[in-house]
Amino acid sequence: MALPDTGLRDEPGSFRDPGNRVFHRAGEVLRGLDERSARDWRALAASDFFRDLLANGQVCGTQELFPTPVDVPWAAVLRHERVPFVSHPYEWSYGMLRDAALLHLEVLRAALAAGFTTKDGSAYNVQWRGARPVFIDVGSFEAARDGEPWAGYRQFCQTLLYPLLVQAHLGLDFQPFLRARIDGIEPDQMRRLFGGARRWRAGVLTHVHLHGAMQDRNAEASTSAVRAQLRAAGYSRELALATVRGLVKLVRRLDHRPGESHWSDYQRTCAYSVQDRQAKEHFVDRAVATMGPGRVLDLGANDGRYARIAARHADHVVAVEQDPAVVDALYRALRDEGERRILPLVMDLADPSPGGGWRGVERAAFAERAQADVVLALAVVHHLAIGRNVPLPEVLDQLAALTVTGGSVVVEFVHPEDPMARRLLANKPDGLFPDYRREAFESLLAARGRVVARTELPSGTRTLYQVVVGG
Amino acid sequence: MTGEGRELAVTHLAYLDAGSGSLIVQAVVGGVAGVAVAAKLYWRRLVARFRRQPTDQG
Repeated sequence: MALPDTGLRDEPGSFRDPGNRVFHRAGEVLRGLDERSARDWRALAASDFFRDLLANGQVCGTQELFPTPVDVPWAAVLRHERVPFVSHPYEWSYGMLRDAALLHLEVLRAALAAGFTTKDGSAYNVQWRGARPVFIDVGSFEAARDGEPWAGYRQFCQTLLYPLLVQAHLGLDFQPFLRARIDGIEPDQMRRLFGGARRWRAGVLTHVHLHGAMQDRNAEASTSAVRAQLRAAGYSRELALATVRGLVKLVRRLDHRPGESHWSDYQRTCAYSVQDRQAKEHFVDRAVATMGPGRVLDLGANDGRYARIAARHADHVVAVEQDPAVVDALYRALRDEGERRILPLVMDLADPSPGGGWRGVERAAFAERAQADVVLALAVVHHLAIGRNVPLPEVLDQLAALTVTGGSVVVEFVHPEDPMARRLLANKPDGLFPDYRREAFESLLAARGRVVARTELPSGTRTLYQVVVGG
Repeated sequence: MTGEGRELAVTHLAYLDAGSGSLIVQAVVGGVAGVAVAAKLYWRRLVARFRRQPTDQG
Protein backbone atom coordinates (compact mmCIF):
# COMPACT_ATOMS: atom_id res chain seq x y z
CA MET A 1 0.00 0.00 0.00
CA ALA A 2 1.44 3.36 -0.96
CA LEU A 3 1.72 5.76 1.93
CA PRO A 4 -0.39 8.85 1.48
CA ASP A 5 1.72 11.94 0.86
CA THR A 6 -0.47 14.14 3.00
CA GLY A 7 0.11 15.01 6.61
CA LEU A 8 3.88 15.11 6.36
CA ARG A 9 5.33 17.96 8.37
CA ASP A 10 9.00 18.82 8.68
CA GLU A 11 10.16 19.44 12.23
CA PRO A 12 11.09 23.16 12.21
CA GLY A 13 13.86 22.54 14.76
CA SER A 14 15.67 19.97 12.62
CA PHE A 15 17.42 21.44 9.61
CA ARG A 16 20.93 22.23 10.72
CA ASP A 17 22.42 18.90 9.65
CA PRO A 18 21.51 18.51 5.96
CA GLY A 19 22.29 14.79 6.15
CA ASN A 20 19.21 13.98 8.17
CA ARG A 21 15.94 15.60 9.12
CA VAL A 22 13.15 14.90 11.57
CA PHE A 23 9.60 15.04 10.28
CA HIS A 24 6.18 14.13 11.59
CA ARG A 25 3.53 11.99 9.99
CA ALA A 26 0.37 10.54 11.41
CA GLY A 27 1.46 11.22 14.96
CA GLU A 28 4.82 9.53 14.45
CA VAL A 29 8.26 11.11 14.80
CA LEU A 30 10.37 10.03 11.82
CA ARG A 31 13.90 10.86 10.73
CA GLY A 32 14.99 10.79 7.10
CA LEU A 33 18.63 9.94 6.38
CA ASP A 34 20.66 10.59 3.23
CA GLU A 35 22.99 7.89 1.83
CA ARG A 36 25.87 8.76 4.09
CA SER A 37 23.77 9.12 7.23
CA ALA A 38 22.06 5.82 6.39
CA ARG A 39 25.46 4.11 6.31
CA ASP A 40 26.33 5.70 9.67
CA TRP A 41 22.99 4.53 11.08
CA ARG A 42 23.44 0.93 9.95
CA ALA A 43 26.90 0.77 11.49
CA LEU A 44 25.46 2.28 14.66
CA ALA A 45 22.49 -0.11 14.76
CA ALA A 46 24.88 -3.07 14.56
CA SER A 47 27.03 -1.83 17.45
CA ASP A 48 26.87 -3.13 21.02
CA PHE A 49 27.31 0.24 22.68
CA PHE A 50 24.24 1.67 20.94
CA ARG A 51 22.16 -1.35 21.90
CA ASP A 52 23.24 -0.85 25.51
CA LEU A 53 22.37 2.85 25.44
CA LEU A 54 18.93 2.00 24.04
CA ALA A 55 18.39 -0.75 26.60
CA ASN A 56 19.32 1.63 29.45
CA GLY A 57 16.92 4.25 28.12
CA GLN A 58 19.78 6.73 27.65
CA VAL A 59 18.98 7.14 23.94
CA CYS A 60 15.42 7.46 22.67
CA GLY A 61 13.95 4.31 21.17
CA THR A 62 14.69 4.13 17.42
CA GLN A 63 13.85 1.65 14.67
CA GLU A 64 14.40 1.72 10.95
CA LEU A 65 11.28 1.49 8.79
CA PHE A 66 11.26 -1.44 6.36
CA PRO A 67 10.65 -1.13 3.54
CA THR A 68 11.94 2.42 3.25
CA PRO A 69 9.00 4.69 2.36
CA VAL A 70 9.25 5.68 -1.30
CA ASP A 71 7.37 8.96 -1.05
CA VAL A 72 10.11 10.78 0.85
CA PRO A 73 13.49 11.81 -0.57
CA TRP A 74 15.55 9.80 1.92
CA ALA A 75 17.75 6.70 1.67
CA ALA A 76 16.46 5.44 5.00
CA VAL A 77 13.78 6.46 7.48
CA LEU A 78 13.89 5.93 11.26
CA ARG A 79 11.00 6.01 13.66
CA HIS A 80 11.67 7.51 17.09
CA GLU A 81 9.86 6.94 20.31
CA ARG A 82 7.89 10.07 21.15
CA VAL A 83 9.19 12.21 23.99
CA PRO A 84 6.18 13.07 26.19
CA PHE A 85 6.84 16.81 26.14
CA VAL A 86 9.46 18.77 24.22
CA SER A 87 11.27 21.24 26.48
CA HIS A 88 14.16 23.61 25.89
CA PRO A 89 17.32 23.94 28.00
CA TYR A 90 16.31 27.42 29.18
CA GLU A 91 13.29 25.80 30.82
CA TRP A 92 15.42 23.39 32.84
CA SER A 93 16.79 23.83 36.34
CA TYR A 94 20.49 23.81 37.13
CA GLY A 95 20.46 20.16 38.19
CA MET A 96 18.65 19.26 34.96
CA LEU A 97 21.20 21.04 32.79
CA ARG A 98 24.00 19.36 34.72
CA ASP A 99 22.45 15.91 34.34
CA ALA A 100 21.86 16.59 30.64
CA ALA A 101 25.56 17.46 30.30
CA LEU A 102 26.57 14.28 32.13
CA LEU A 103 24.29 12.17 29.92
CA HIS A 104 25.73 13.75 26.79
CA LEU A 105 29.26 13.01 27.99
CA GLU A 106 28.36 9.44 28.92
CA VAL A 107 26.84 8.86 25.48
CA LEU A 108 29.98 10.31 23.89
CA ARG A 109 32.29 8.23 26.08
CA ALA A 110 30.49 5.03 25.17
CA ALA A 111 30.54 6.03 21.50
CA LEU A 112 34.26 6.89 21.45
CA ALA A 113 35.17 3.64 23.16
CA ALA A 114 33.33 1.80 20.35
CA GLY A 115 34.87 3.82 17.52
CA PHE A 116 31.97 6.25 17.08
CA THR A 117 31.54 9.90 17.94
CA THR A 118 28.84 12.58 17.82
CA LYS A 119 28.87 15.35 15.24
CA ASP A 120 27.66 17.93 17.70
CA GLY A 121 27.46 18.55 21.44
CA SER A 122 24.34 20.61 21.91
CA ALA A 123 22.08 20.77 24.97
CA TYR A 124 19.23 20.44 22.46
CA ASN A 125 20.35 16.83 21.89
CA VAL A 126 18.74 16.00 25.23
CA GLN A 127 15.06 15.73 26.19
CA TRP A 128 13.28 14.32 29.22
CA ARG A 129 11.08 11.42 30.22
CA GLY A 130 9.86 12.81 33.49
CA ALA A 131 12.93 13.47 35.59
CA ARG A 132 15.19 11.30 33.42
CA PRO A 133 17.23 12.75 30.55
CA VAL A 134 17.28 11.00 27.19
CA PHE A 135 19.61 11.62 24.23
CA ILE A 136 17.44 12.16 21.16
CA ASP A 137 19.79 13.09 18.34
CA VAL A 138 20.41 9.66 16.84
CA GLY A 139 21.43 11.40 13.61
CA SER A 140 24.44 12.83 15.42
CA PHE A 141 26.37 9.54 15.62
CA GLU A 142 29.05 8.81 13.06
CA ALA A 143 32.21 6.75 12.84
CA ALA A 144 35.11 8.40 14.68
CA ARG A 145 38.13 9.25 12.56
CA ASP A 146 41.38 8.43 14.30
CA GLY A 147 43.34 11.40 15.49
CA GLU A 148 40.43 13.83 15.60
CA PRO A 149 39.15 15.69 18.64
CA TRP A 150 35.42 15.91 19.36
CA ALA A 151 33.69 18.16 16.81
CA GLY A 152 30.93 18.89 19.34
CA TYR A 153 33.21 20.32 22.04
CA ARG A 154 32.59 23.96 21.12
CA GLN A 155 28.81 23.48 21.23
CA PHE A 156 29.06 21.51 24.44
CA CYS A 157 30.89 24.45 26.02
CA GLN A 158 28.45 27.04 24.68
CA THR A 159 25.17 25.32 25.50
CA LEU A 160 26.06 23.15 28.52
CA LEU A 161 29.38 23.81 30.24
CA TYR A 162 29.38 27.63 30.13
CA PRO A 163 25.83 28.02 31.48
CA LEU A 164 26.81 25.66 34.32
CA LEU A 165 29.95 27.72 35.03
CA VAL A 166 27.95 30.96 34.99
CA GLN A 167 25.56 29.66 37.62
CA ALA A 168 27.98 27.64 39.74
CA HIS A 169 30.74 30.27 39.88
CA LEU A 170 28.86 33.55 39.52
CA GLY A 171 25.49 32.63 41.04
CA LEU A 172 23.63 33.96 37.98
CA ASP A 173 20.64 32.04 36.66
CA PHE A 174 21.74 30.50 33.37
CA GLN A 175 18.29 30.34 31.77
CA PRO A 176 18.15 33.90 30.37
CA PHE A 177 21.53 33.38 28.64
CA LEU A 178 20.30 30.29 26.80
CA ARG A 179 16.90 31.74 26.04
CA ALA A 180 18.48 34.79 24.45
CA ARG A 181 21.09 32.91 22.39
CA ILE A 182 20.14 29.74 20.60
CA ASP A 183 23.79 28.77 20.16
CA GLY A 184 24.62 29.43 23.78
CA ILE A 185 27.27 31.66 25.34
CA GLU A 186 30.40 32.27 23.28
CA PRO A 187 33.92 31.99 24.73
CA ASP A 188 34.51 35.66 24.00
CA GLN A 189 31.57 36.64 26.22
CA MET A 190 32.59 34.20 28.93
CA ARG A 191 36.10 35.68 29.08
CA ARG A 192 34.59 39.05 29.94
CA LEU A 193 32.47 37.51 32.70
CA PHE A 194 35.42 35.59 34.14
CA GLY A 195 38.14 38.23 34.34
CA GLY A 196 40.46 38.82 37.32
CA ALA A 197 40.58 36.21 40.06
CA ARG A 198 37.55 34.46 38.61
CA ARG A 199 39.76 32.91 35.96
CA TRP A 200 41.10 30.55 38.60
CA ARG A 201 37.73 28.94 39.30
CA ALA A 202 37.35 25.30 38.26
CA GLY A 203 37.34 24.82 34.50
CA VAL A 204 37.61 28.49 33.62
CA LEU A 205 41.25 28.88 32.63
CA THR A 206 41.22 26.09 30.06
CA HIS A 207 37.65 25.80 28.79
CA VAL A 208 37.02 29.56 28.76
CA HIS A 209 40.24 31.61 28.49
CA LEU A 210 42.50 29.20 26.66
CA HIS A 211 39.61 28.12 24.45
CA GLY A 212 38.77 31.71 23.54
CA ALA A 213 42.42 32.59 22.91
CA MET A 214 42.89 29.52 20.71
CA GLN A 215 39.80 30.45 18.71
CA ASP A 216 41.17 33.94 18.13
CA ARG A 217 44.61 32.70 17.16
CA ASN A 218 43.31 30.04 14.81
CA ALA A 219 40.51 32.04 13.26
CA GLU A 220 42.17 31.86 9.86
CA ALA A 221 43.03 28.15 10.00
CA SER A 222 40.49 25.79 8.46
CA THR A 223 39.28 22.92 10.63
CA SER A 224 40.44 20.39 8.04
CA ALA A 225 43.99 21.79 8.14
CA VAL A 226 43.97 21.77 11.95
CA ARG A 227 42.61 18.21 12.02
CA ALA A 228 45.47 17.09 9.77
CA GLN A 229 48.00 18.90 11.97
CA LEU A 230 46.61 17.31 15.14
CA ARG A 231 46.67 13.88 13.55
CA ALA A 232 50.27 14.37 12.46
CA ALA A 233 51.19 15.53 15.97
CA GLY A 234 49.84 12.27 17.42
CA TYR A 235 46.34 13.12 18.70
CA SER A 236 44.76 9.80 19.59
CA ARG A 237 41.44 8.32 20.61
CA GLU A 238 42.86 7.87 24.12
CA LEU A 239 43.36 11.63 24.27
CA ALA A 240 39.78 12.22 23.15
CA LEU A 241 38.62 9.89 25.93
CA ALA A 242 40.85 11.68 28.43
CA THR A 243 39.21 14.97 27.43
CA VAL A 244 35.77 13.48 28.04
CA ARG A 245 36.87 12.13 31.41
CA GLY A 246 38.17 15.59 32.31
CA LEU A 247 34.85 17.16 31.33
CA VAL A 248 32.89 14.60 33.37
CA LYS A 249 35.07 15.30 36.40
CA LEU A 250 34.58 19.04 36.01
CA VAL A 251 30.79 18.84 35.55
CA ARG A 252 30.52 16.56 38.59
CA ARG A 253 32.43 19.15 40.63
CA LEU A 254 29.95 21.84 39.62
CA ASP A 255 27.36 20.52 42.07
CA HIS A 256 25.89 23.91 42.78
CA ARG A 257 22.53 24.23 44.53
CA PRO A 258 20.56 27.37 43.87
CA GLY A 259 20.00 29.11 47.19
CA GLU A 260 16.86 29.43 49.24
CA SER A 261 14.27 31.76 47.82
CA HIS A 262 10.94 33.19 48.82
CA TRP A 263 9.10 30.36 47.10
CA SER A 264 11.27 27.49 48.29
CA ASP A 265 9.58 27.61 51.67
CA TYR A 266 6.16 28.43 50.32
CA GLN A 267 4.28 25.29 51.30
CA ARG A 268 5.36 25.65 54.90
CA THR A 269 4.80 29.38 55.22
CA CYS A 270 1.71 29.87 53.09
CA ALA A 271 -1.69 30.40 54.58
CA TYR A 272 -3.12 26.91 54.14
CA SER A 273 -4.62 25.00 56.97
CA VAL A 274 -4.39 21.22 56.97
CA GLN A 275 -8.12 21.02 56.22
CA ASP A 276 -7.75 23.34 53.24
CA ARG A 277 -4.91 21.32 51.86
CA GLN A 278 -6.78 18.04 52.25
CA ALA A 279 -9.87 19.44 50.56
CA LYS A 280 -7.75 20.78 47.73
CA GLU A 281 -5.90 17.49 47.28
CA HIS A 282 -9.16 15.62 47.17
CA PHE A 283 -10.65 18.01 44.60
CA VAL A 284 -7.58 17.78 42.33
CA ASP A 285 -7.44 14.01 42.62
CA ARG A 286 -11.10 13.66 41.63
CA ALA A 287 -10.89 16.19 38.80
CA VAL A 288 -7.87 14.52 37.18
CA ALA A 289 -9.33 11.04 37.75
CA THR A 290 -12.53 11.94 35.87
CA MET A 291 -10.48 13.09 32.87
CA GLY A 292 -8.56 9.83 32.62
CA PRO A 293 -5.02 9.49 31.24
CA GLY A 294 -3.46 12.23 29.17
CA ARG A 295 -1.33 15.29 29.78
CA VAL A 296 -1.68 17.47 32.84
CA LEU A 297 -0.14 20.91 32.97
CA ASP A 298 0.46 22.14 36.51
CA LEU A 299 0.96 25.92 36.44
CA GLY A 300 2.72 27.30 39.51
CA ALA A 301 3.70 23.81 40.64
CA ASN A 302 5.87 24.87 43.59
CA ASP A 303 7.01 21.71 45.42
CA GLY A 304 5.02 19.47 43.08
CA ARG A 305 2.41 18.33 45.60
CA TYR A 306 -0.45 18.54 43.13
CA ALA A 307 1.64 17.37 40.19
CA ARG A 308 2.25 14.17 42.12
CA ILE A 309 -1.47 13.77 42.78
CA ALA A 310 -2.19 14.34 39.09
CA ALA A 311 0.46 11.75 38.17
CA ARG A 312 -1.68 9.07 39.86
CA HIS A 313 -4.03 9.28 36.89
CA ALA A 314 -2.23 11.11 34.05
CA ASP A 315 0.21 9.76 31.48
CA HIS A 316 2.51 12.63 32.20
CA VAL A 317 2.53 15.91 34.07
CA VAL A 318 4.39 19.08 33.09
CA ALA A 319 5.01 21.02 36.29
CA VAL A 320 5.80 24.66 35.55
CA GLU A 321 7.20 26.96 38.21
CA GLN A 322 8.94 30.28 37.85
CA ASP A 323 11.45 30.00 40.67
CA PRO A 324 14.56 28.13 39.45
CA ALA A 325 15.58 27.14 42.99
CA VAL A 326 12.18 25.58 43.66
CA VAL A 327 12.23 23.71 40.35
CA ASP A 328 15.72 22.46 41.10
CA ALA A 329 14.65 21.11 44.49
CA LEU A 330 11.62 19.44 42.88
CA TYR A 331 13.76 17.98 40.09
CA ARG A 332 16.26 16.49 42.54
CA ALA A 333 13.47 14.95 44.60
CA LEU A 334 11.77 13.47 41.51
CA ARG A 335 15.06 12.22 40.10
CA ASP A 336 15.97 10.50 43.35
CA GLU A 337 12.55 8.83 43.39
CA GLY A 338 13.07 7.63 39.81
CA GLU A 339 9.94 9.49 38.69
CA ARG A 340 9.33 9.20 34.94
CA ARG A 341 6.03 10.99 34.48
CA ILE A 342 6.54 14.43 36.04
CA LEU A 343 8.66 16.94 34.14
CA PRO A 344 9.51 20.05 36.19
CA LEU A 345 10.19 23.20 34.17
CA VAL A 346 11.31 26.76 34.97
CA MET A 347 9.08 29.38 33.43
CA ASP A 348 7.38 32.61 34.38
CA LEU A 349 3.71 32.34 33.39
CA ALA A 350 3.61 36.07 32.70
CA ASP A 351 6.60 35.68 30.37
CA PRO A 352 6.36 32.20 28.80
CA SER A 353 9.04 30.89 26.44
CA PRO A 354 8.66 32.61 23.06
CA GLY A 355 9.46 30.94 19.76
CA GLY A 356 13.19 31.07 19.02
CA GLY A 357 15.80 30.46 16.38
CA TRP A 358 15.22 30.67 12.64
CA ARG A 359 11.92 32.41 11.84
CA GLY A 360 11.03 32.10 15.48
CA VAL A 361 9.87 28.51 15.00
CA GLU A 362 13.07 26.51 15.32
CA ARG A 363 12.38 26.34 19.04
CA ALA A 364 8.64 26.26 19.50
CA ALA A 365 7.02 28.70 21.89
CA PHE A 366 5.59 27.24 25.09
CA ALA A 367 2.02 27.94 23.96
CA GLU A 368 2.66 25.87 20.80
CA ARG A 369 3.73 22.84 22.83
CA ALA A 370 1.68 22.93 25.96
CA GLN A 371 -1.89 21.91 25.11
CA ALA A 372 -3.08 19.68 27.93
CA ASP A 373 -6.08 17.55 28.88
CA VAL A 374 -6.09 19.07 32.34
CA VAL A 375 -4.63 22.42 33.34
CA LEU A 376 -4.11 22.98 37.04
CA ALA A 377 -4.03 26.66 38.04
CA LEU A 378 -3.91 26.43 41.81
CA ALA A 379 -3.12 29.62 43.70
CA VAL A 380 -1.78 31.32 40.58
CA VAL A 381 -4.63 33.44 39.24
CA HIS A 382 -4.21 36.10 41.96
CA HIS A 383 -0.46 36.29 41.28
CA LEU A 384 -1.14 37.03 37.61
CA ALA A 385 -4.21 39.22 38.06
CA ILE A 386 -3.04 41.24 41.06
CA GLY A 387 0.70 40.65 41.19
CA ARG A 388 1.32 41.14 37.47
CA ASN A 389 -1.72 43.26 36.57
CA VAL A 390 -2.89 40.82 33.84
CA PRO A 391 -6.62 41.50 33.22
CA LEU A 392 -8.66 38.67 34.75
CA PRO A 393 -10.45 37.77 31.46
CA GLU A 394 -7.06 37.37 29.80
CA VAL A 395 -5.80 35.10 32.56
CA LEU A 396 -8.79 32.82 31.96
CA ASP A 397 -8.42 33.06 28.17
CA GLN A 398 -4.87 31.83 28.53
CA LEU A 399 -5.88 28.92 30.78
CA ALA A 400 -8.55 27.93 28.26
CA ALA A 401 -6.09 28.26 25.36
CA LEU A 402 -3.73 25.81 27.04
CA THR A 403 -6.54 23.23 27.41
CA VAL A 404 -7.75 20.93 24.64
CA THR A 405 -11.43 21.23 23.73
CA GLY A 406 -13.33 19.07 26.17
CA GLY A 407 -10.43 19.15 28.63
CA SER A 408 -10.59 20.61 32.11
CA VAL A 409 -9.20 23.63 33.85
CA VAL A 410 -8.93 23.18 37.60
CA VAL A 411 -8.63 26.68 38.94
CA GLU A 412 -8.46 28.18 42.40
CA PHE A 413 -9.91 31.61 43.05
CA VAL A 414 -8.38 33.34 46.03
CA HIS A 415 -10.98 35.78 47.35
CA PRO A 416 -9.90 39.40 47.82
CA GLU A 417 -10.35 38.90 51.60
CA ASP A 418 -7.82 36.06 51.73
CA PRO A 419 -4.60 36.98 53.59
CA MET A 420 -2.41 36.18 50.55
CA ALA A 421 -4.57 38.26 48.20
CA ARG A 422 -4.62 41.09 50.72
CA ARG A 423 -0.86 41.00 50.93
CA LEU A 424 -0.65 41.38 47.15
CA LEU A 425 -3.33 44.07 47.08
CA ALA A 426 -1.55 46.03 49.82
CA ASN A 427 1.30 46.68 47.39
CA LYS A 428 -1.00 48.19 44.79
CA PRO A 429 -2.91 51.47 44.75
CA ASP A 430 -6.38 51.22 46.33
CA GLY A 431 -9.23 50.26 44.04
CA LEU A 432 -6.97 49.19 41.18
CA PHE A 433 -8.72 45.86 40.71
CA PRO A 434 -12.49 46.47 41.11
CA ASP A 435 -13.27 43.35 39.02
CA TYR A 436 -11.28 41.01 41.17
CA ARG A 437 -14.42 39.56 42.79
CA ARG A 438 -15.78 36.08 42.99
CA GLU A 439 -19.00 36.84 41.06
CA ALA A 440 -17.05 38.45 38.23
CA PHE A 441 -14.67 35.47 38.18
CA GLU A 442 -17.54 32.99 38.01
CA SER A 443 -19.24 34.74 35.12
CA LEU A 444 -15.91 34.80 33.25
CA LEU A 445 -15.57 31.06 33.87
CA ALA A 446 -19.12 30.40 32.62
CA ALA A 447 -18.30 32.23 29.39
CA ARG A 448 -15.42 29.88 28.70
CA GLY A 449 -16.79 26.50 29.64
CA ARG A 450 -19.05 24.47 31.88
CA VAL A 451 -18.35 24.42 35.60
CA VAL A 452 -18.73 20.75 36.52
CA ALA A 453 -17.43 20.86 40.08
CA ARG A 454 -16.94 23.53 42.67
CA THR A 455 -15.86 23.52 46.27
CA GLU A 456 -15.12 26.11 48.87
CA LEU A 457 -12.10 25.40 51.02
CA PRO A 458 -12.79 25.23 54.80
CA SER A 459 -10.99 28.54 55.42
CA GLY A 460 -13.80 30.20 53.45
CA THR A 461 -11.54 32.50 51.41
CA ARG A 462 -10.70 30.22 48.49
CA THR A 463 -12.88 28.42 45.95
CA LEU A 464 -11.90 25.65 43.55
CA TYR A 465 -13.58 25.07 40.19
CA GLN A 466 -13.35 22.39 37.57
CA VAL A 467 -14.35 23.83 34.21
CA VAL A 468 -14.76 21.76 31.05
CA VAL A 469 -13.46 24.02 28.30
CA GLY A 470 -15.78 24.52 25.35
CA GLY A 471 -18.22 22.12 27.03
CA MET B 1 45.19 38.21 26.94
CA THR B 2 41.52 38.93 27.17
CA GLY B 3 40.50 39.37 23.59
CA GLU B 4 38.93 42.72 24.35
CA GLY B 5 39.52 45.27 21.66
CA ARG B 6 40.46 42.63 19.13
CA GLU B 7 38.61 42.25 15.90
CA LEU B 8 35.61 39.98 16.16
CA ALA B 9 37.10 37.28 14.02
CA VAL B 10 35.32 34.18 15.23
CA THR B 11 32.18 35.07 17.07
CA HIS B 12 29.82 33.23 14.79
CA LEU B 13 31.07 29.84 13.78
CA ALA B 14 28.75 27.76 11.67
CA TYR B 15 26.77 24.89 13.10
CA LEU B 16 28.64 21.60 12.70
CA ASP B 17 31.80 23.66 12.38
CA ALA B 18 34.02 22.29 15.10
CA GLY B 19 36.09 25.49 15.23
CA SER B 20 39.86 25.25 14.72
CA GLY B 21 40.74 26.69 18.12
CA SER B 22 38.14 24.46 19.79
CA LEU B 23 39.86 21.41 18.30
CA ILE B 24 43.35 22.38 19.46
CA VAL B 25 42.29 23.32 22.98
CA GLN B 26 40.94 19.80 23.47
CA ALA B 27 44.46 18.44 23.23
CA VAL B 28 45.53 20.69 26.09
CA VAL B 29 42.49 19.70 28.16
CA GLY B 30 43.40 16.04 27.68
CA GLY B 31 46.27 16.15 30.21
CA VAL B 32 50.04 15.87 29.91
CA ALA B 33 50.00 13.74 26.77
CA GLY B 34 47.63 16.22 25.20
CA VAL B 35 49.84 19.18 26.03
CA ALA B 36 52.67 17.31 24.34
CA VAL B 37 50.51 16.91 21.21
CA ALA B 38 49.65 20.62 21.21
CA ALA B 39 53.31 21.54 21.72
CA LYS B 40 54.28 19.29 18.82
CA LEU B 41 51.63 20.90 16.63
CA TYR B 42 52.92 24.38 17.40
CA TRP B 43 56.53 23.29 16.98
CA ARG B 44 55.76 21.88 13.53
CA ARG B 45 53.97 25.06 12.57
CA LEU B 46 57.00 27.08 13.66
CA VAL B 47 59.43 24.89 11.77
CA ALA B 48 57.22 24.99 8.70
CA ARG B 49 57.22 28.78 8.84
CA PHE B 50 61.04 28.98 8.84
CA ARG B 51 61.34 26.44 6.06
CA ARG B 52 59.11 28.44 3.77
CA GLN B 53 60.33 31.26 1.58
CA PRO B 54 59.46 34.65 3.13
CA THR B 55 57.29 35.42 0.09
CA ASP B 56 55.04 32.47 0.98
CA GLN B 57 53.89 34.18 4.11
CA GLY B 58 51.25 36.33 2.49
